[in-house]
Amino acid sequence: MRNRNGVRAIRPYLYVLPIILFAVGFVYYPFLKTFLYSFSTVNVKGEITGFAGLDNYAYLFGRREFQAALRNTLVLTAVNVPITLLIASFLASLCVKERPLSPVYETMFALPMAISMAAIALVFRVLLNPTVGFVNHALNLSIGWFEDRNTALFSIVLLTVWMGIGFNFLLFLSAFRAIPAQVIEAARLDGANAAQLLFRVRLPLAVPTVVYAAATNAILALMTNGPIMILTQGGPSRATVTLIYMMYTSGYNSSNYSLAACISICTFLLALCLTLLLLRLEKKKVSYE
Amino acid sequence: MKRSMRDALIQAFCLLLGLFVVFPLIYGALGAFKTPSEFSRVPPTVFPDSFRNFDNFRAVFEKAPMARYFLNSLITSTVSSLVRLVFAALAAYAFAFFEFPGKKPLFILVLGTMMLPAETITVTNYQTVSALRLTDHYLGIMIVSFVGASQMFMLRARFASTPRALREAAMLDGCSDLRFLLFVLLPVSRPVLVTLFLQSFIAQWNSYLWPLLVTNHDEMRTVQVGITMLTAPEATNYETILAGATVALIPALILFLVSRRKLSDSMSGGSLVG
Repeated sequence: MRNRNGVRAIRPYLYVLPIILFAVGFVYYPFLKTFLYSFSTVNVKGEITGFAGLDNYAYLFGRREFQAALRNTLVLTAVNVPITLLIASFLASLCVKERPLSPVYETMFALPMAISMAAIALVFRVLLNPTVGFVNHALNLSIGWFEDRNTALFSIVLLTVWMGIGFNFLLFLSAFRAIPAQVIEAARLDGANAAQLLFRVRLPLAVPTVVYAAATNAILALMTNGPIMILTQGGPSRATVTLIYMMYTSGYNSSNYSLAACISICTFLLALCLTLLLLRLEKKKVSYE
Repeated sequence: MKRSMRDALIQAFCLLLGLFVVFPLIYGALGAFKTPSEFSRVPPTVFPDSFRNFDNFRAVFEKAPMARYFLNSLITSTVSSLVRLVFAALAAYAFAFFEFPGKKPLFILVLGTMMLPAETITVTNYQTVSALRLTDHYLGIMIVSFVGASQMFMLRARFASTPRALREAAMLDGCSDLRFLLFVLLPVSRPVLVTLFLQSFIAQWNSYLWPLLVTNHDEMRTVQVGITMLTAPEATNYETILAGATVALIPALILFLVSRRKLSDSMSGGSLVG
């Protein structure tokens, strides 16, 4: 009898054990290790050999490459998030009312979310190729896109915006559809046009979704590295180096673990601050209503 | 009459926009049928001369062990999505039905993993996996994706919404917790489970950085990594690049088209999580 009670007492822990085990082993432990690395001297084998205080950070902040990476990542995020949200919410506002062809164009708008970054990056590589690509020809341009240092980062933004359309479109669509039809009808009767309907009625009523979308997109943008690895390798002349790309090259290629760890922590803090900022904004917006 | 006219116009406009959005994919798929000389043509074309030119697809499978890449991606995506679901379901069950000391901290510990982006811990995770001698191993590719905090969160909500009386009745009949979970709860939660599995599968199938890091042997690469290695970064065999990209996105695309309704319905739940 006692034994049975013993089993009953530990049973809940057995159920949560697997997920906790892997959360600790492959999320918290590596994070803690990264945190410690960033304040230590670390040899190429990954062993901590001493305490470094803030030396690693000071060294990192003084490096040209880091300054470029930080600037590029912030620009990428600042441009990517509003454009993605604008396009996605605009497309969603067109789709709120269900029409006979809704399933067709809704699927088209949502499609990018199923497409792998590697595959679409390769397609963009050809699409934006200065000589054989379709875009330069169709728009009668002679832009270098990924190959020109002035346009490379912008081209990466084009790609990441495309990749984000699908997910955000669906997010906004379900949020807009949850708004009672009478509210929209009333606004229409008051003479609101399509743009006013989107910016004055739908988006304000969907603030939690806007904040959620902004936060997830901002974090994704801060973590941008795949397109850089596949398309530009940070070039031309550092125009597209991002934080995570630099973390990858210094940690994995050069085995400079403490430097990589500093970049990780900086990126994490940026993501955390942005998320908290957005949540604060949401609280303010909601309390005003 | 005026209203239906307006509806028709909006639909036409949406279709046009839709075509614009999916244009890169169409362009890629069409380009996969072109010959190298078609690419050097001025002005560049969109449509290939012939849709019977499968040379590029053949080249993709001959230049690299693409079939093996597919197998690797299929196995790792399926297994890791399943393991993630099982772990999430077990934890969700405990958090939904049991009362135990430390329940809340443990719950927060699981959800807290969402605050730590995977990219920021790749280097240290790589060290762990390499110390466990799991590089070039399916387990090494999968092991970092077994924790599905948002999946646990959604399943807990689903489980908690089942009537308490159902579980009590089952318990009175001598049904164990595990049996109740396996034979009652999971079957009634099938729609959620299918959606979560599909989301997870697509994400795994499309993942790039981690599989790239933990594989060195060619035959252990996944599809996404493999297609980027078909050509050198400065190579000009565009038709091969596009054929590789097209082949790699087909499985996730099909899954998405089959299940779009389910996936988009689950998004309303997803926005609540945030």
